Amino acid sequence: MAKKTRIKAKLKKGIITVKAMAKHAMLGHREAKKAKKELNFITYMTATVNDKLVYEVSTSQFLSKNPYIKFKFRGADKGDKVIITWVDLTGVTQVSTGKIK
Amino acid sequence: MNRRIFLTLGMGAFAVSLLPVNLKAMNFREKNPKIWSATKVDEAMNELFGSSSAIEGKIKIKAPDIAENGAVIPVSVSTKLKASKVAIFQDANPESTVAVFSVPQDGIIDYSVRIKLGQTGTVTVVALADGKLYKASKLVKVTIGGCGG
Repeated sequence: MAKKTRIKAKLKKGIITVKAMAKHAMLGHREAKKAKKELNFITYMTATVNDKLVYEVSTSQFLSKNPYIKFKFRGADKGDKVIITWVDLTGVTQVSTGKIK
Repeated sequence: MNRRIFLTLGMGAFAVSLLPVNLKAMNFREKNPKIWSATKVDEAMNELFGSSSAIEGKIKIKAPDIAENGAVIPVSVSTKLKASKVAIFQDANPESTVAVFSVPQDGIIDYSVRIKLGQTGTVTVVALADGKLYKASKLVKVTIGGCGG
């Protein structure tokens, strides 16, 4: 789980499109049983830019493995940092940063 | 020396303030765990929005008609509604709720995620805007189940 979330953020006509892929197995009930591991998935993900919240989602085990998310927002410039944080069921938190291009 | 300790404390406080929990964020799993165990879309809607009646339309869902692999189904949701909450549900898995987005102020609602479906099912998106519920749904046929299948 040590791998960072991959973040790509691009500014176009004032709108920033962020694509991010978190590295997580997302073990639902069935997957966990199959892999003989404990139930574990990302439950909560946020993105902030310049201390402003731009994306927020509470998730369940029905997101695919290595969840990929895409979203758009306004009000940031090139070079600003997008900080994506996720928390999983076991309480592991990971913070990753990406730059807007 | 005192000054140094003070600075360290300041840094610590700053780091804590960066955590999303302090950004008026809403973690629906902590706030309302019931929505995650609801087994029907209506039930989950009731838990989350307090009502299960919604107006059809005004939301666009992009999802494949037929998905070969149920483990990775790209779903895009977009709407021009000034919604404060957007939720994705489906009726193919044991529990209904997939994800709940809380839209930040001036947020653009154009979200893409990849979801898992255990079998053929309907993906329903519900948005709360101006106190009204809007919904849209789409049937996705799954040829190979995705939940560990």
